[in-house]
Amino acid sequence: MKKHLNPKHAILSLAIIIFIASFVLSILTAVTIGAVKVSLSDVYRIVLYQVSFGKVKIGEEAFLSSGTMYEIVWNLRMPRVLMGAIIGVLLAMCGVVMQATVQNPLADPYILGISSGASLGATFSIMIGASAVFTGVLATMGTAFWAFIGALGAMSLVLLLSHMGGGKVTSAKLVLAGCVIGSLCSAFTNMMIYIGKDAENMKSVTYWLLGSMVSARWYKLLLPGICAVAGLLFFLTQLRTLNTLLLGDEAAMTLGVDLAKWQRIYMIMTSLLSAVAVCTCGIVGFVGLMIPHIVRGFAGSDHRFFLPIASLSGGIFLIWADVLARVIIPNTEIPLGVITSAIGAPIFVYMMVRKSYGFGGND
Amino acid sequence: MNIETRDVSITLSHKEIVKNASLKVQEKEFVGLLGPNGSGKTTLLKSIYRVLKPSNGVILIDGEDIKTMSYRDTARRMGVVSQFNNLSFDFTVEEMVLMGRAPHKKAFDRDTEEDYRIAEDALRRVDMLDFRDRSFLTLSGGERQRIILARALAQQVEIMILDEPTNHLDIKYQIQIMDVVKSLGVGVLAALHDLNLTLMYCTYVYVLKDGRIVAEGPTEQIITEKLINDVYEVECSVARNPKSGKLNVTFFSKV
Repeated sequence: MKKHLNPKHAILSLAIIIFIASFVLSILTAVTIGAVKVSLSDVYRIVLYQVSFGKVKIGEEAFLSSGTMYEIVWNLRMPRVLMGAIIGVLLAMCGVVMQATVQNPLADPYILGISSGASLGATFSIMIGASAVFTGVLATMGTAFWAFIGALGAMSLVLLLSHMGGGKVTSAKLVLAGCVIGSLCSAFTNMMIYIGKDAENMKSVTYWLLGSMVSARWYKLLLPGICAVAGLLFFLTQLRTLNTLLLGDEAAMTLGVDLAKWQRIYMIMTSLLSAVAVCTCGIVGFVGLMIPHIVRGFAGSDHRFFLPIASLSGGIFLIWADVLARVIIPNTEIPLGVITSAIGAPIFVYMMVRKSYGFGGND
Repeated sequence: MNIETRDVSITLSHKEIVKNASLKVQEKEFVGLLGPNGSGKTTLLKSIYRVLKPSNGVILIDGEDIKTMSYRDTARRMGVVSQFNNLSFDFTVEEMVLMGRAPHKKAFDRDTEEDYRIAEDALRRVDMLDFRDRSFLTLSGGERQRIILARALAQQVEIMILDEPTNHLDIKYQIQIMDVVKSLGVGVLAALHDLNLTLMYCTYVYVLKDGRIVAEGPTEQIITEKLINDVYEVECSVARNPKSGKLNVTFFSKV
């Protein structure tokens, strides 16, 4: 029973290393795939030149740092692949932490109403033209900004609602409040789409609601990137508390966890992080719910292994979902949310019908 | 280490469940909390292990108000075996027991060999060592109860709060669990249904009825035919068993 002899931990530690390697490999492979044919050697020469800050120069400098190929590989594909990785990590991580916080394996940014709030904000911005109110930087960030406001609004309402009526905040109250606020937001969103006249606007709303990485650029990676790294670092300090939370309110308290305090901190953090993810690239469903479920199935509920593996899996999954989105039909972009749901739903059905499914049970 | 409640009242949904309850568990004393269903035993215990806040009165560990302590602090001194242990997520038995080490750990501390040794020892004491790689959710109610006790043992505390620890257990494990707890030599406050177990293990008892403590004292002086009739509303005979030398309660049926 000594730690270094625990075979399960050894296997899971190895799994973390394998997932880190797959994560990096996925980024490097996905960047070679796209509508425009660029040879492997061209792709890697450009990437190598750029990541080595110009020290590794194989071929013409003009080719490596300017021109069409450079633009496609370094300024379109690379940020897009990285965006998929970052958003995937954010969503899966938020799913993991939310599920522990509300002690409900069904929690994710969707169930808790945050995505619906973001949709409402984005739709408001596109259909009513709220972005016209702003000038300068805010005008270009209009939709994302309003999506963020919407997400925060929905989150505050959910937290407020679950505190109402006295008594303590239970996971059931949170999930119910999430459903209520979620449907309310959807109702308003649908109403705005219904009364909207401008076909072009309606198209961009639909586009936004279905999620996409098309608009990924280097400068847009900054905020979600910082959030993903900071969030991951923070939650890696919380693994023991997260494990204890899974035992239920009472057990967590008797094992020394200040439940009310940590639940509040985790809820606010995950809400902010998923709001950032959602406002960056629209609604990408299923990742926050599905990835933790699948990973729990083979890695168990111990967050020391579960959290890193699930986060990495989220990144890997979204990188490849986005590759599918751009190549599955030539010259046509399929909305990312469609891909993730189309993959997610059958996997879920499979997991439900599989007899052994027990939220992380081994038998 | 001792624990004490002073004039504790607890109100749940506008109803006063516990009224002015004062009790004390001296160092290393095994104290029983008796009373019929709904008399407020669990509620009182919950306020002691800080899941419920009393509307009135204070709870003290070694004279210090628990309100001023961190949850980590109380978890290092007080272990709890409660009635409900339903989980939505699964862990192995070993992982469950290792969680008992949580209050002794800082954020980045790893589980040391010492922790594993403590967990292994706790599992051996409740006779569940062979189950350590099993998933907790596949265990029976009684087996789960013993794992939760093992987790509390791994906490290495000086006070144990037990709420019906022998529920779901067959008689062998009822006696085993009570023996394990007694042999720890720590202060124990246990809500119990079984009066014979109470007579076997508790040196002192408090009796709750309708949220009030109606009797307290050394176990053999308190558990009498009259008190049982008053509190539980059943007829019985309390007599000394010649073989065990202990008092024994035998109940009479009404039909």
